[in-house]
Amino acid sequence: MEDKTYLSIAYLGMILGLAIWTWTTISRSRKLELRIIAMEESLNIKQAEADSIAAANDKPAE
Amino acid sequence: MRGKSGDMYLLAGFSGLMITLYLAFNWAPSVDINAFQSPEAQRIFYWHVPAAWAAFIAFTVLFIGSALWFFKRSPLGWKLHIAGSEAGLACGLMAVWSGCVWGAAEWGTPWDWEDFRLNTFGLLTLLALFLVLGRKSQPDGVESRDTFSTFGLYGFVLVPITYIATRIWVIRHPGPVIAGDENSSISGDMALVLIIGALSFTVLIIGHIMTSIEITKFEQRIDRLQKELDGE
Repeated sequence: MEDKTYLSIAYLGMILGLAIWTWTTISRSRKLELRIIAMEESLNIKQAEADSIAAANDKPAE
Repeated sequence: MRGKSGDMYLLAGFSGLMITLYLAFNWAPSVDINAFQSPEAQRIFYWHVPAAWAAFIAFTVLFIGSALWFFKRSPLGWKLHIAGSEAGLACGLMAVWSGCVWGAAEWGTPWDWEDFRLNTFGLLTLLALFLVLGRKSQPDGVESRDTFSTFGLYGFVLVPITYIATRIWVIRHPGPVIAGDENSSISGDMALVLIIGALSFTVLIIGHIMTSIEITKFEQRIDRLQKELDGE
């Protein structure tokens, strides 16, 4: 293979990897955010209560 | 609800990487054609070295997070552990991939099993893969967090070993190009592009770590809300 073919393969692979990683992260964050909104609506949770749930999140399951 | 600062870092990091790519192809000088088998393929290093740099930052975050969780039971520590392992895996794979392609072009083989530095960096990336996949397959709890944190703590030993290997056990992989000895220095223009690349990867990884911490918060919040919905 030529030099430039190697160069292209290396950068295309890295660009693809970066794009997949970033897209996955952002879309996961958006999906979870929408799910939280839907769950809070179904529980009829007000903002102050939601904040207290958020504060309790930091404790792991025993 | 969603924090936008992580997105801003991601956008800034991506812009910087695109600028680095443009400069690497159109502005950075070519290397001496007699010094390399594949002089054009050498331009791979404008992203390869910054990706490896970002991977080391991620492994440092993983180590700090693991220590904070293991010794202090810090919730932020656990979030840093998750963010560090995911970022370490992504950047480590990018560095390994680009390194293999360059090795195939320059050495005629993508990997040298006798090169200490290649193997320790490969092990670090495999450790990140184990942590990311392992965490997804295990229920979240104190015991599983302790186990993964221990691996994060001990795995960090490979970081200084890899760093030292670039200086004293140079077998096939080139030595450090910045802050190395007088034989390993690069031209000012090349160094500038490399520094822009390293800064861009650093900003990008900060954005990813911030977003990953946010995702962990969301997942934990969903668990709590689900328990409320189930009436627990």
